[in-house]
Amino acid sequence: MNASVFARSALRAAATSRTAVPVSVRGLASVATSQTAPATPETKKPLMKKFQVYRWNPDEPEKKPYMQEYELDLNQTGPMFLDALIRMKNEVDPTLTFRRSCREGICGSCAMNIEGTNTLACLCRIDRDTSKVAKIYPLPHTYVVKDLVPDLTQFYKQYKSIKPYLQRKDAPTPMKENLQSIADRKKLDGMYECILCACCSTSCPSYWWNSSEYLGPAVLMQSYRWIADSRDQFTEERKAALDNEMSLYRCHTIMNCARTCPKGLNPGLAIAKIKKELAFGSS
Amino acid sequence: MSMLRTGLRAAPKARVFSTTATRAILPAGPQVIDGTVNDAAKIPETNPTHGSYHWSFERLISVALVPLTVAPFAAGSLHPITDAVLGATLVMHSHIGFQNCIVDYIPHRKYPKSLKAAKWALNGATAVVLYGLYEFETNDVGITEACKRIWKA
Repeated sequence: MNASVFARSALRAAATSRTAVPVSVRGLASVATSQTAPATPETKKPLMKKFQVYRWNPDEPEKKPYMQEYELDLNQTGPMFLDALIRMKNEVDPTLTFRRSCREGICGSCAMNIEGTNTLACLCRIDRDTSKVAKIYPLPHTYVVKDLVPDLTQFYKQYKSIKPYLQRKDAPTPMKENLQSIADRKKLDGMYECILCACCSTSCPSYWWNSSEYLGPAVLMQSYRWIADSRDQFTEERKAALDNEMSLYRCHTIMNCARTCPKGLNPGLAIAKIKKELAFGSS
Repeated sequence: MSMLRTGLRAAPKARVFSTTATRAILPAGPQVIDGTVNDAAKIPETNPTHGSYHWSFERLISVALVPLTVAPFAAGSLHPITDAVLGATLVMHSHIGFQNCIVDYIPHRKYPKSLKAAKWALNGATAVVLYGLYEFETNDVGITEACKRIWKA
């Protein structure tokens, strides 16, 4: 007790001695400079950037889809495309329709095609070069519900078909968890982070042509997430469900999935591992 | 399975309003969803012959082509059997490749008859090529020698 009191008073002494000497100590110096800072913040010049957004309204089916242009001052807008879209909707055009929720890349709602790349609007920085027009489209090769909202029904139905949950053959032991070694848990890294935004699946040409039967990179990676899980006991059944002409083998290793993934995951690698396990038995 | 058609665009009446020119070449068509939106997509029957065995066979042939192509040049001498095996493997390799194109680009759900026709046309073409190669190997110089001659011509 006594020792700690002594130590604290010693620290205080050191601190006061430091203020007396004009040395730039970060914590104390910033207090001093803030008092001398100018009261009025300097105003930035407006930085006007043009955006072209895909519009289609199901209430007017006779009207073709068109690109609508919006202009925003980037100095008044947040850094990401989602900030721009929200500003367009709030301040310019309330009829603009898009999905968004978490604004930090964890919900996967705002997946769209920005500047030719499938990505999450909330994770995609606006290019501050105002000479270029930024183009925003819905996810490619999807049926559009309205403006930037794609119909992901088939995607979700396919996700449901791979049974994305733990399946075990033995009854759970009362009051016990299904344990897993650290090495086995590591196998799931790079797969469990997937937020199912459908950026990869809708960037895959194979999925464009055969989405009715081919499962697509996102769903296949989630399928492998359960095949690789040491706690799951239906590995063989899961593999058998993929062992046909269409579900898995329409993947031709184009690798658009890994290139576009806004979370930096590699569905192509997971698909290659499924093919390997089906060819050589379990690894 | 009941076919549920969703979306206004899917309704055939929407075509009356459509200002887009109709394109005869494989139009996208209306969205078709099997069953209700809450049903899981149908899982196809397990069929390794068209799945994993097919894939392994395809890779095996691709890998085998590398030494078969190099062997006659590395050895310096040419054996008719090596040449025949190379020819047969090449034909199988391209047959599987074209098969993949057909399955990819002619969807079974929309064009089942065209798919069947294309597959049989490919089978016919492969048979003709195999017969032609047989004639070429037995009555002429064979693939490797032909390549050599063209290279030196």
